[in-house]
Amino acid sequence: MNATNRGLNRTVLFLVGVALVAIGATTVAAQLWPAAADAWRATASNTMAWMRQADEATRIVEGTTLSWMAVALVALLLVVVAVVVVLIARLGGGRTSVLLREEAADGAQGAVTIRDDFASDAIRHSLAGHDEILASRVTAHRIRGTDMLHVSVTARQNTSPADAARTVTGLVDNLSVLTGREMPTLVSIHAGIRARLASETPRVN
Amino acid sequence: MATPVLKRATRRELHSPRTAAAATVLVVVAIAAVYAGVEMVLHLLRLDPLLVTPGAALDGAAALPDIEAKPAVIAAAVVVAIAGLVLIWLALTPGRRPRHRLDMPPHSVVVDNAVIASSSAEHIRRELDLPRGAVVVGVGHRSADVTVRPVPGQSVDREGLRAVLKGELARYGLPAGMSVRARVMRPDEENRER
Repeated sequence: MNATNRGLNRTVLFLVGVALVAIGATTVAAQLWPAAADAWRATASNTMAWMRQADEATRIVEGTTLSWMAVALVALLLVVVAVVVVLIARLGGGRTSVLLREEAADGAQGAVTIRDDFASDAIRHSLAGHDEILASRVTAHRIRGTDMLHVSVTARQNTSPADAARTVTGLVDNLSVLTGREMPTLVSIHAGIRARLASETPRVN
Repeated sequence: MATPVLKRATRRELHSPRTAAAATVLVVVAIAAVYAGVEMVLHLLRLDPLLVTPGAALDGAAALPDIEAKPAVIAAAVVVAIAGLVLIWLALTPGRRPRHRLDMPPHSVVVDNAVIASSSAEHIRRELDLPRGAVVVGVGHRSADVTVRPVPGQSVDREGLRAVLKGELARYGLPAGMSVRARVMRPDEENRER
């Protein structure tokens, strides 16, 4: 889980999808339907004529291929690449390393900061003593200005998800007693290759 | 589900972010734009094109209706259109992951369907005293089903089986509205089923 803008992801997919469908559909229509083929030829020759004219009209140096039209097209492509790079760079993120921060009160020595590795170490260490939890990962996130904790565990096969959830939430509650602050916590319990390879929960404990 | 933060985080855990698809599309778009830009610059510098000059590419597109290899063009166009439809489908469908939210206030718990299935199968197996591997449970978004294969001589009541699974799912805090189906296979039925 991260701060990826999912609406943006879907907008990108939708716009590119619509463009591909439009290209594919018009190409098929132009191949199969004479009227569409005529329209295709007319549009193409008009566009080419316009582009040639614009190219001539904006020629920077006579006798070369250099024109403002060509420069503008290259600039447009550069803008497209820049936008794409920005969009890709924005994927992911949203993790924070500061779990909670207590500002100094009157007379206190200074601010106290609890980092996520403290919570992570505390919870993971406690979970290591639980046989039914095979692996765990604890991350802190900042969602719209509120910090939250995400505890992701892989449970041994046949472990009751309710029991595993109670184990984890119990540890989280202990941690919040320790830090004196309720922390919104999301617990996710996963199956996976790790769970399938490990032996099942023993019938007799 | 006390806070809006948890609500949001839970929703995000239950649905695919579509990041992989979006990233792939963006990378392809970037490559296409870079290639087009390189060809244009090469043309402006009057150097040889990598594959085709911009002018020749436009001429080729304009002459597409008159091309000889019609079936090939149509096939390629259909593939492009189908790829577009797949992207639109990815953009518009909810993309639910095979997970369920358990009711456990004040925290929020999200569990893989496979965990629920394996745990309830084990519970049913012990409850009805069945051999290992005789119970198969499948858990979906709105339904769950169980298939048991009792040993010869053992009888399993279908309604009872259904009730056991329903009770187990309720114990995990899954929504009561889930439809539960049960199936008991007689040992001699096994060959016919396969």
